[in-house]
Amino acid sequence: MRTPLAWLNLTHDRRKFATSLLGVGFAVLLMFLFTGFKNALYDSQVQLINRLNADIIIINRLKNNMFVPSAFARRRLYQARALATVASAYPLYLSDVRWKNPENKTTRPVRVLAFNLADPILPLPEIQAHLDQLKLPNTALIDERARVEVGPREAGVVTELADREIRIVGTFSLGTDFASGNGNLIMSDQNFLRYFANRGPEEDERSFATADIGLVKVVPGAEVEAVVAQLQERLPDDVKVMVRSGPGDSFEAQERDYWRDSTNIAFVFSLLTVMSFFVGIILVYQILYTDVADHWTEYATLKAMGYSNRFLFGVVIQEALILSVLGFIPGFLVSHLLYGGAANVTGLLFQMTPGRVLNIYILSFVMSLISGAIAVRKVQSADPAEVFG
Amino acid sequence: MSPTVTTSTDCAVQIRNLNYYFGRGDLRKQVLYDINLDLPRGQIVIMTGPSGSGKTTLLTLIGALRSAQEGSLQVLSQEIVGMGNRKLVAVRRNIGFIFQAHNLFESLTATQNVEMAVELKGEFRSKRSQSVDILTQVGLENRVDYKPDSLSGGQKQRVAIARALVNQPQLILADEPTAALDKKSGRDVVTLMQKLAKEQNRTILMVTHDNRILDVADRIINLVDGYLESDDNLDTFVSTHDPKTLDRRMFIM
Repeated sequence: MRTPLAWLNLTHDRRKFATSLLGVGFAVLLMFLFTGFKNALYDSQVQLINRLNADIIIINRLKNNMFVPSAFARRRLYQARALATVASAYPLYLSDVRWKNPENKTTRPVRVLAFNLADPILPLPEIQAHLDQLKLPNTALIDERARVEVGPREAGVVTELADREIRIVGTFSLGTDFASGNGNLIMSDQNFLRYFANRGPEEDERSFATADIGLVKVVPGAEVEAVVAQLQERLPDDVKVMVRSGPGDSFEAQERDYWRDSTNIAFVFSLLTVMSFFVGIILVYQILYTDVADHWTEYATLKAMGYSNRFLFGVVIQEALILSVLGFIPGFLVSHLLYGGAANVTGLLFQMTPGRVLNIYILSFVMSLISGAIAVRKVQSADPAEVFG
Repeated sequence: MSPTVTTSTDCAVQIRNLNYYFGRGDLRKQVLYDINLDLPRGQIVIMTGPSGSGKTTLLTLIGALRSAQEGSLQVLSQEIVGMGNRKLVAVRRNIGFIFQAHNLFESLTATQNVEMAVELKGEFRSKRSQSVDILTQVGLENRVDYKPDSLSGGQKQRVAIARALVNQPQLILADEPTAALDKKSGRDVVTLMQKLAKEQNRTILMVTHDNRILDVADRIINLVDGYLESDDNLDTFVSTHDPKTLDRRMFIM
């Protein structure tokens, strides 16, 4: 076996090695954070959509994102049920409304999700657990991941929602997004009417005649895409029928595309990621350059002994790769912790999927490789003749 | 022991009419003038001369560390003049280099430093035993797995010598190998080189200003201002270069 020169040179000075790894880890951390925020902002927009218990979504044709309050006629759902391939079709009601923080009495907008509690709209165990209490007037569940600005997120809170008293009987866990304001509440459709049927002169009144999102389940064995086509064909053009999630023409994709095309999220965070990438290149280059500069005469001696430039390239590139692998580990671990912390503070959904971890690893690998390629030029210039005299 | 005309196969190094220049164009400056030199196998040759006389340049030319321009320079029966870089690298593998500084990797143990040389030959299985062998010969059998920072100056230089000798090169080039050592370590190092050279019939060319070690030489050549000024055996050199009559520049370091 060859003497592992790259490894031994890097690890010879333990403290320097540790600082080098922290440096690389920091660059990795920055890339993780910025891509994490970018992904979290997109992922959070669709987390409610992805948890709806439906194969197919029916919405008002004007509702091109969750912000648009346009509702559609609930009878479209009955029309949909007439189709043999449709197993069920349920309405979900949404409304943004003022919530009073019980502690400091400031009002903040929250989003109310309301549905017939008998309908399997959201598969959340907390709904079943508090079913009896939710049937009582003026009760709701609050999202424990709502922003701190709404006050305590726990059962027993009594405050005002749309200027009416509301009692929180339990919590569930969902998370916030751009359209949800400061958080989500879940209540029964009966309570929804109590709050939103008579809202005063300037506000839209709500009734069961319109629904915001229709949730359609197909019968087992039916082709979802085919049912979508059938429904769209059968129903009037005031509604839009689409698959719930997945690539292509889905409700989830529509939401993602809307936020991607109408905001600068991708640009800002991609720019920050690219900058972290260059910071990483400079960091790794510094580390490698210092190693080469410190061992300049030794490397030149190796050349005098008959080692080729290629061998020395190999040593530097190996050092770069060792740094990228070992520096990635602390960067990844700290990022993991920070994702958890950031998710708690913002209520956004921070997901570290294997694919995203791999992407960042590839970035840090390329980062080290580029630094190595620059530092190699220094080794190449080591002139063995200069070691004499 | 005085130089005689020999055929190239008997010589580790044969130099004919060698000129060497630094720089190009208007800045071109000649540093070596019409050097003719034969180094027969098994001979220990010390090269002296004032600073700037071209000793190191000549040493690096013989060591295939530079490409020569004019004349003929045969090292171990291969013509260096006009040779490409890749072939120069191959020639170097048959030459042992010992430098003024030991140039050992601080991160490698004594044996790993020596093993780096064995690996050039691709002998990975026996590299440890070869290395321990040569380290034993230089008297470091108890320091095999020590790193340079826990070795003394003399010990480090002996590791460097072991590294230069482990591949049994026919030609050894040394540049002030005793300069950084005290009197006793310097003496030990030179005696060791002499012993290994005599036992194994190696050619050693050593640049030194150290008068205390001149006695190991079979032959002393003196380079002044790029010209080979004298080429004597030891006794002649001592009598003609008596410090009282000597050009004082010789000993300016």
